[in-house]
Amino acid sequence: MTPAALASLLPVPVVILITGAVLAPLAARWSKRAPLAISLLATVAATVILALFARRVYSGQVIVTYLGHQGPAQGSVLGVTFAADAFGLSFALLTTVIGGLLLLSTLSELSGLGRRELGGYACLFQLLLAALVGSALTADSLDLFVWFEVAALSSYGLTGFFLERPLALEAAFKIMVLTNIAAFWVFVGTALLYADHGGFNFGQLHNGLGTSVKTADLLALGLIVSGFATKAGLVPFHGWLADAHTAAPGQVSALFSGLMVNLGIVGIARYALQIAPATHRPLLGLITVLGCVSAVTGAVLALAQDDLKRLLAYDTVSQLGVLAVGIGSGTSSGTAGMIYHLISHALFKSLLFLCAGAVVHATGLTRLSQMGGLARHRPVTTIAFLIGVAAIAGVPPLDGFVSIGLIHDGIKSNEPVVYAVMLLAQVVTVAALARATYLAFFRRRDDDYDRLERPHPGMTTALSALAVGSLVFGCVPTWVLHHVVAPATGALRNAHGYSSALLAGGGRLPAPPVTFHYFSASEWITSVATVIAGLLVARWYVRRATEPALVRGLRALHTGSVNDYALYATAGLIVTTLVLVVRI
Amino acid sequence: MIVANYLAAAVLFGLGLYTVLSRRNMIKIVMGLSLMESSTYLLLISLAYRPGSTAPVLLAAPRGSTESGLAHGNVADPVLQNVCLTAIVIGVAVTAVFLTAVVRIAQHYRSIDADRIRGMRG
Repeated sequence: MTPAALASLLPVPVVILITGAVLAPLAARWSKRAPLAISLLATVAATVILALFARRVYSGQVIVTYLGHQGPAQGSVLGVTFAADAFGLSFALLTTVIGGLLLLSTLSELSGLGRRELGGYACLFQLLLAALVGSALTADSLDLFVWFEVAALSSYGLTGFFLERPLALEAAFKIMVLTNIAAFWVFVGTALLYADHGGFNFGQLHNGLGTSVKTADLLALGLIVSGFATKAGLVPFHGWLADAHTAAPGQVSALFSGLMVNLGIVGIARYALQIAPATHRPLLGLITVLGCVSAVTGAVLALAQDDLKRLLAYDTVSQLGVLAVGIGSGTSSGTAGMIYHLISHALFKSLLFLCAGAVVHATGLTRLSQMGGLARHRPVTTIAFLIGVAAIAGVPPLDGFVSIGLIHDGIKSNEPVVYAVMLLAQVVTVAALARATYLAFFRRRDDDYDRLERPHPGMTTALSALAVGSLVFGCVPTWVLHHVVAPATGALRNAHGYSSALLAGGGRLPAPPVTFHYFSASEWITSVATVIAGLLVARWYVRRATEPALVRGLRALHTGSVNDYALYATAGLIVTTLVLVVRI
Repeated sequence: MIVANYLAAAVLFGLGLYTVLSRRNMIKIVMGLSLMESSTYLLLISLAYRPGSTAPVLLAAPRGSTESGLAHGNVADPVLQNVCLTAIVIGVAVTAVFLTAVVRIAQHYRSIDADRIRGMRG
């Protein structure tokens, strides 16, 4: 295929997913199986088309297309620019593959629903996937905002999908208020950047910010970073996240945690690394601080939760903090670790949420204190959950070992304080998940379960596929690093090359050398030490009768009131913009 | 550049945000969000303005001027005005979704007090 023909295919995956979203509710009128068939077909087709780009893009090429054929003229572009760089393509492929698995699982579990509900569900699900693929491939700040809104609207629908459950409504209202405020921030920031630099194209913005950075630009960046941090669920913008995950079905939580929150990380990475290198230091420092706070707060809150899905949701806050630290590190190793962790987090967190969904499906229980002894009743789910936990804990043959190790390598030498905070967060994370595993699966339960629902084949398929994916990405790190992560790192770290490719209709970006010493003693010692420390903390915590004061205080701050959560987010915005504008 | 408009937009945004932060009535929260939204429209339209410019309507050139001359003339930035239109459309949709949720919440809880509807916390 000629490069021009290939480039013109770039918007097609998004179009396919949106078409699927439109057709699914219509086809649901004929038969209950139709929405599943259509949405699976759409995700497979989108994956195939994205895969066509893989060879060229992962060899370092940036494939660019301008919608409406409004190409660049005198260094500015009017048409919406779609560009496949290795970073965006990785996220897009990850979205369609995991999205397809989740659809398979969800529509097989929810097959008891009526036709209208199944159609609506498949529609919202595909719309969210389309928004994520669009945000991964777009190189236009306004378009990124539009995908942010599309993702937001479909996530409102999915959160409140079970309208008859009051908790779902409560969660839907919270996610709406916070995401909507975040959308205003991103919107105003985008408009301010346009007013200063006369363009929405990332390349144009990069060139404009490269020559001069005014106060209005810094204000705009502060607004945009805060907006995307809300989407990513970084502390203090995270109020909506745990509630939305608690109320939604397992697969929706998996979609939110594994894929949707990454939209925020993609936005932050694009703005911080590819668009704004002139303000580099304060911006990256700020992102690192946000990441550290999220990593620790999320892990501590996870340790204290009694609801299994809520626990996993707070762990997402923590893991997204780790990703933010990877962005903020500003080293190739840290950036590569961030990309690797984006992939591995999507795999293992979807896996864990599907396991949680399977447990809820089987027992009808959501609280850890009521569960127990599930290892005997549900061996497959238990093994899958253990694989997910081991991946988060960074146990060697799994993907978390490589990704967390790379992020640690990126900060170890020049930011010892951040490194210490990361290790602390890692220990608490291990403790939180070990506690959950023990309470749900291995603790003795005196009375037997009344009745355990049979697992559906679709659920088991998705669980096994994600577990195998987690193993594969951990077992062939050299291949993944060389063929996927290094080109993606090259795209993120070569801001100048990326922006000139966007304004020249394509280009090449060299991949930096990224190495991970798989068998080095220090990586293994760190991994084993954090796991042992985590297990000890878990043991100590399970035996305690009361919560420590720190945990109680942190939980008391999460009042459940939407006013308070909006207040925290606003405070976060004010601090963020002040840090950037005053350049503390 | 219309400084008064920028200030007005900032004040409106602040008022909307204050409403969201301080009111427990869900309808009022939605109204606050709408207020924030309209402040962004005002900001965008003001950003699009250039001193002495006319509206960016370039359908047919009036007698005595050519189309390209018109295009190079002093008009307000059409892109931001377009973006503003898009934002209005999105805003209407979002407000509709919001109010749907509030209606369902009112039906379930018999209350729209955000402080009483907080089953999930901690």
